[in-house]
Parts: sequence; structure tokens; C-alpha cells
Amino acid sequence: MTADSKAILAAAPPARTGSGPVRPRRRRRPHWAHAVLAPLAGLWLIPLVMVVGLSLLPTSNPGTTALGLFPQEPSLGNYVQIWTNNPILRNLVNSLLVTVPSVLLVILFGSMTAFALARLRVPLKAVIFGALTLALILPMSSIVVATFKILQAMGLYNNLAGLVLVYTALGLPFAVIIIRTSFLAVPPELYEAAMLDGASKFSVYWKVYLPLSRPALAVVAIWQSMSSWNDFLLPLVTLEDNTLKPLTLIPLAYRGTFLSQPGALFAILVLISIPIVVVFLLVQRHLVNGLSGAIK
Amino acid sequence: MSDHTVQKHTAPREWLAGTLFLLPAIVLFTIFVVYPIVYNFQASTLDWDGVNPGRFVGLGNYTRLFQDPIFLTTLKNSGWWILLTIIPQALIGFFLAMLLNEKLRGRAIYRAIFFIPAVLSPVVVGIVWQRIFDPFNGVVAKLGRATGLDFLVHGYLADPKSAIFAAIVVNVWMWTGFSMLFYLAGLQLIDSSVLAAAKIDGAGTWRTIRSIIWPLLRQTHLSLLLLGIIGSLKTFELVYVLTEGGPNHATEMLPTYTFKQAFQLQSVGYASTISVVLLLIAVISSLSMVRAFGSGFLTGDEK
Repeated sequence: MTADSKAILAAAPPARTGSGPVRPRRRRRPHWAHAVLAPLAGLWLIPLVMVVGLSLLPTSNPGTTALGLFPQEPSLGNYVQIWTNNPILRNLVNSLLVTVPSVLLVILFGSMTAFALARLRVPLKAVIFGALTLALILPMSSIVVATFKILQAMGLYNNLAGLVLVYTALGLPFAVIIIRTSFLAVPPELYEAAMLDGASKFSVYWKVYLPLSRPALAVVAIWQSMSSWNDFLLPLVTLEDNTLKPLTLIPLAYRGTFLSQPGALFAILVLISIPIVVVFLLVQRHLVNGLSGAIK
Repeated sequence: MSDHTVQKHTAPREWLAGTLFLLPAIVLFTIFVVYPIVYNFQASTLDWDGVNPGRFVGLGNYTRLFQDPIFLTTLKNSGWWILLTIIPQALIGFFLAMLLNEKLRGRAIYRAIFFIPAVLSPVVVGIVWQRIFDPFNGVVAKLGRATGLDFLVHGYLADPKSAIFAAIVVNVWMWTGFSMLFYLAGLQLIDSSVLAAAKIDGAGTWRTIRSIIWPLLRQTHLSLLLLGIIGSLKTFELVYVLTEGGPNHATEMLPTYTFKQAFQLQSVGYASTISVVLLLIAVISSLSMVRAFGSGFLTGDEK
């Protein structure tokens, strides 16, 4: 799959001049939409071409580029350098250690909550739902001071587990709203029938509702992966040790060092982006269906 | 509501089971969402550096905020942000969705190209666009020099007059694909027989889009509008990486100002005050939208 994502990023230069390959096809059955889409896509690709291009800057003479986008003599030197000179693997692992558990927890807790709200009798349903939607509009920056204090009090300051808990809590509202809508679309008769057969509530949830809601879970998974993997605000204020820092903090933490080696900086940016782009490409085909179930 | 209950006489046991299902979420939520909100309200009444005991000042921080010229700047910037991100993102997103809803060669690739910016970290997007706007090495300036279009050779992010608009351009690049995806999802729900009927009645493409498709996507427009308003008010990461709110507060948003007060000026009481005001603005705008349009677009319920 890495090859796929690289193909998307690296296929940039041919796609940018996209009007070229489109034109011959126009002689057969042309679709006029390409005439609009290809230039627009080309424009959209410029920053992506640039980030890959600059990561390939030669380490010795990084000044020579075509339009500031792509080096005249591309080299993999920067990747070799960040891989050997920095504990970058450690940072990559930290990012994974935060992202994977928070995605799993958000899906588990979020779908449990959604199931209770969609199918069970629980007190204060409206209040709970209201509180969840309130949290959707809560900016992370406005809770970060309090979160910092709470994590300190819980002994989770300077600890990756603290990040996992906060990301899970903040991810729940979106997850519950999306999954609940998907659960509501499951015919209630299915629930009644399973209950009459003597199934427990948990097994109905686990064996019937979860498998039927895969597109919604895909939407939640990609969304949560993005939020956890991409965030830098919380690590910035709650992590001290360099050995605990996730990848996203590296460009900011070593800004000064990177001034003299722009290529290495862009190589790290590519490294931050590849995993999340791969996850996106994996779940891409579920996204539209998952969302349309959720916003109907 | 399409909530469903099975046996009424087992209510207490149902409640117990339901509560068990809800428990993990409620615990996490209380600690990391409800408590911080309460905390903000409390801290907003203090003159406090976050370490030493604070001094109670009542509503003093609020009077200070409403006289703070930077507060006005943040409101103005949020206004520009709301106006100039939501509308272009919706129009381009809708346009792309219409084109990419058809069977078209390379459809998946186009969709991926437009959506990938939205999955990238603001750290990546911010640093990349800093470079693009760089007056020496950036592609915009280089293009300007190569073509003689001198106005392109300009430090767009360094100039207080243009910085906020440059940041808005970056936001549009990043999030247009998200609007596209929402419209694609909305288009799935339009009954194709409606469109077929329109065709039989002789409605042209433009007419069909304007009179049928666009109005039928009302829920999608509203969701994007609300998400856009909230997203604009919450904007932090991108601006922090691009400009840190500068130059001279020209791109300051409420969240970046909060962060600055709390972590750079050690003025935690004042930072909490800004947070409370931000939260109130967000709640009031969301509630007034729900008031005006019903909550269906938010919860997915038919109402």
C-alpha cells in the first residue's frame, strides 16, 4: 500500500501537466469534465508535489530547484540522514502508540454509547446527546490548560497514555453521532427477534449491530486516526521527554536545526503524511457510503 | 425520534444495561470535557499565573477582554475566515461533487487528490505553505519572477495586510475536499427517479441543478455551514504553524490568543476568559442555527 500512496504523491508531475494525456482521449469519446478537473487537480497537487520534491533536495547543494518545487538532481540523502541521525523511529512508534489505541477505544466506547442511545432505555437520553453535541463545538485550545492540570493530577503528565485518554474523550461525540445514525438504520425487528431468541444485549450489539455498521466505523476510524496522528497541541504542552514526542512535534521542536537542511525537514513532513494517506486510501471507498448513512 | 424499546416492564434492568453501555464514555467525558469547561469558568474569575494562588477579580477579566483591541482583531479575523472559507469551499466542493458523482475515468484519483489535503497534519500543511509563500524560495515568488508578474513576489504571510487572507487560501486548499465528500454523500441520498422525472419534463442540466439538486441538498449545506462556523472559530493549529497569529496579531484568532496568554504570558485567568467567551460564541451560533433550521442536519433525524 505504501507503493500506492507514493504513486499518488509521486504521480504528481505527470498529472500536473494533465491536459497532455487528456487531449488524445478527447478524439475518442471525450468527457468534457476532464478539461475542468485536470487543471484544478493540477493546481491542488502543487503543494503535494513540492513537499515530495523538496524532500529529495540534495543534502550538499539544496539551492537548485525548478520553480522551487522539484530539485534538478533528486536524491534520497535526506531520508537516509533522518533515519540514521535522529531517533525518528522512536517518534514514529510514539505516534502509533497514541493513534492506534485511541482509534480502537473511540470505536468501542463510541459504538457502545451509540447502541445505548439508539436501542436501549436509558435515563437522561436527551441530556447525554445534548452534552455530546456540545463537545463537538469545544475547541481543544480552550480545554488544554485544564487538561494539563488534570493529567498532572492523575500522574499522566509526560505520558502517552494521557494523550490516548484525551483523544478518546474528544473523539467520542463525532463517533457517537455517526454510529448512532447507522444503528438507527438497522431494522428494530432484528433487535427484537434476537432478544426473543434469548441473545444478550451485548451479543446483539457485538454480533449484529457492529458488523452491519462497517461504513460508519470506517468514517470514524479515518477521522480519529487523523485527529490523533496529526495533533501537535496536546503533545506540545503535556510531553517533556524527547523520547516520548510524536512525529508531528519534530518539525516544530527542531525548527532552528532545519533552517540549514530544508530537505530533511520536508522528508520528515513526508514521513508524517504517508501513514495517514495510506489509511485514507484503504478506507476511501467506504467513506462516501459511511457519510451518506450518517447525514441522511 | 425512531428510538425503540421492547419490554416496558423490565425498565430497571434495561436502565442498568444501558448505563453499563454508557459508562466508559460518561467517565471520560466528565473528566476531559465537562470538568475543563467548569474549570474555565472558575479560572476566568481569577487573576492567575497558573502556578501561584490566584486572586479573585470577579468579572474583571471580562471587562478587560471587551476593551482589548486584539479581541476585536480576532473577531474580525473570524468573520473573514467564516465568510471566505465556507462559501468558496462549498461552491468548489459542490461543483467537484457534481462532476465526480458521474462515472468518469480516474474518478477515484480525482477524489483522492482533492481530499488528501484534509487528512494531512496542520504541521505539514502549515510548513509547506510557508514555503510556497516564501518571497525568496517559494513557488509563488519564483513564478512571479519567471513571468514578470511582480505582484507575486511578495511576503504574503509576513505582510499584516495580506497575512489573514493568505492563511484563508491555505484553509480553502485544505478543506475543499471535505466539502466535496459531504456533497458526494448527500448526492447518494437523492432519489434518482426525481432526476429522471425532471429529465422527462424537459428540464435542462442547469435547471435540474438549480431547482432540484441544490435545494434537495439543504441538510448538507446546513451541516457544512455549521461545521464551517465552528471550524473557523476553533482555528488554531494551521494559524499557529503558519504565523503564530502574527505579524503583530494580524492573523490572531481566539484560540491562538488563548494559547499565547496561557503558555507564553502565563496569564491563565485571562486565557480562560477568552476560552469561555469563545465557547459561548460557538454555543450561541450553533443553537441559533438549530433554532432556525431544526436539528435534523446535526443528528440525522427526520424532523
